[in-house]
Amino acid sequence: MYQKLMWGIALGLAWWGRVQAATLEVCAQCPWQSVRQAVEAAAPGDVVRVRPGGYKEHSIQINKKLVLQGTGFPVLEGNDLEEILIITADSVRVEGFELRRAGKSQLKDQAAIRVRKARYFVIQQNRIVDAYFGIYLEHSSHGLVEGNVLLGTATHEASAGNAIHGWYGRHLEISSNYIKGHRDGVYLEFVDSSLVVNNISEYNVRYGLHYMFSNDDQYVCNVFRSNGAGVAVMFSKRIQMRENRFERNWGTTAYGLLLKEIYDADIQDNHFLYNTVGIFLEGATRISYQRNEFQYNGWAVQMTGGCLDNHFTRNNFLANTLDLVVNSRVNNNTFNGNYWSEYTGYDLNRDGTGDVPHRPVKLFSYILAQSPESIVLLRSFFIDLLNFSEKVSPALTPQDVADYSPSMSKIS
Amino acid sequence: MRKWLFAAAMVWLLAACSPKPKPIQYGVDLCAFCHMSIVDRQHAAELVNTKGKAFKFDAIECMIQYANLHDSKDFALYLVNDYLAPGQLIDATASTYLISPNIPSPMGAFLSAFDRRENAEDIQAEQGGEVFDWEGIRERMRR
Repeated sequence: MYQKLMWGIALGLAWWGRVQAATLEVCAQCPWQSVRQAVEAAAPGDVVRVRPGGYKEHSIQINKKLVLQGTGFPVLEGNDLEEILIITADSVRVEGFELRRAGKSQLKDQAAIRVRKARYFVIQQNRIVDAYFGIYLEHSSHGLVEGNVLLGTATHEASAGNAIHGWYGRHLEISSNYIKGHRDGVYLEFVDSSLVVNNISEYNVRYGLHYMFSNDDQYVCNVFRSNGAGVAVMFSKRIQMRENRFERNWGTTAYGLLLKEIYDADIQDNHFLYNTVGIFLEGATRISYQRNEFQYNGWAVQMTGGCLDNHFTRNNFLANTLDLVVNSRVNNNTFNGNYWSEYTGYDLNRDGTGDVPHRPVKLFSYILAQSPESIVLLRSFFIDLLNFSEKVSPALTPQDVADYSPSMSKIS
Repeated sequence: MRKWLFAAAMVWLLAACSPKPKPIQYGVDLCAFCHMSIVDRQHAAELVNTKGKAFKFDAIECMIQYANLHDSKDFALYLVNDYLAPGQLIDATASTYLISPNIPSPMGAFLSAFDRRENAEDIQAEQGGEVFDWEGIRERMRR
């Protein structure tokens, strides 16, 4: 009896809710022909449903709780001058639109969708084509940006903004987006406690993902491919980086992952493939690297200036041109139980751990750090001879940079 | 004849060394201070030393921090982008600077440069913030 009563109340509430939220239909033959007019006429909590078609509209202000829903990808076409959607209220949902011709300007940062000082927003399943900034989240928090496709046209020119740009915010989730051809794929500045997951970010001019002054964030299961550089994490604390792929960031200025002035990060289970430099770190402190795979990179890891307490445990270093460059005198960074494909030691007691320590810094990488031009001598007989003699009796390479328990087999 | 040739060669050599601004290749060049690639045409900066070598920066704050770490007599030219004329390098020592919480710059100093003081004050009236001259901004960044 009690259960039936509860069901009755629940159904009644659901029905009442349906009556409360009106749906405003927008199409050529509908009561509303303009998205902007429908949005202005809607009451808080209503649904504005836009049918397939092209709508030449811009500067649509959403300043109340609303669901703006496109069915069959209606196209909102801007005028190349203004932003298209500006969300300034809490609990707004925008889904299923294609946005084109949003404003571009060298002086103002304009976006296809801007969220300003709003919370609990959902931006889902939209296509944003050739925007300056795609989705700009300013002073906004507790929002979800999911399943969007953002296609920019930036190639080498810097005349593009970021695809998803967060500036001051907390608890954002950016998941399952496809991003291509912008300045930075995802840029987060002063954004805390947020999650970036399952995105593909490629062919961006600068970084696939970029953190500045952001703390307690994590990015997981993303692919960063063929960007100017893969990911940059700068001036940030407590960032978790797990199960990402950093691929094909080639060029004189390219890194898979750039760490600068960061503290207390975890870097686990990532793949670094075909990068000029896998990880470049400067002023990175208290960082743990576990179970990462570095394969076919120019340099797997480059450390410069003031990197303390970096601990590499059980990583695979496979067929990199150079595994490690360390360019600082003070060194308390440790390497334990890693697999180095370059390792030439033996394992007499068959415990799976090499009996002689592996020193990953070669004499040549030391010379390279002093004069980069000497790279032309790579693979020459002379360099092989130098490296060998240094290995037999180390004189210049840092003594304390060594893996005392190198793994004999690849870590899986 | 030989003397003239020698003189001509010397003039040519000296001319080759004279410090000149070098154009910044946006999206390609790296910041000499923070390693980020330079993309922002409104905030990039450049230092040219007395031998004519150019150091490029993605933000004015990077240039000032770099300059503060090095001996100032090594540098011949200080250049910054004019916020209102993107891509245009102007003399940093004669520019006016604005720190405004509403105008983000690449390295988080909220710092922009202007060709003319009036322009900086116009933007300041619009966006808020504090205006500095070259000496003032260098002093401010030292803190």
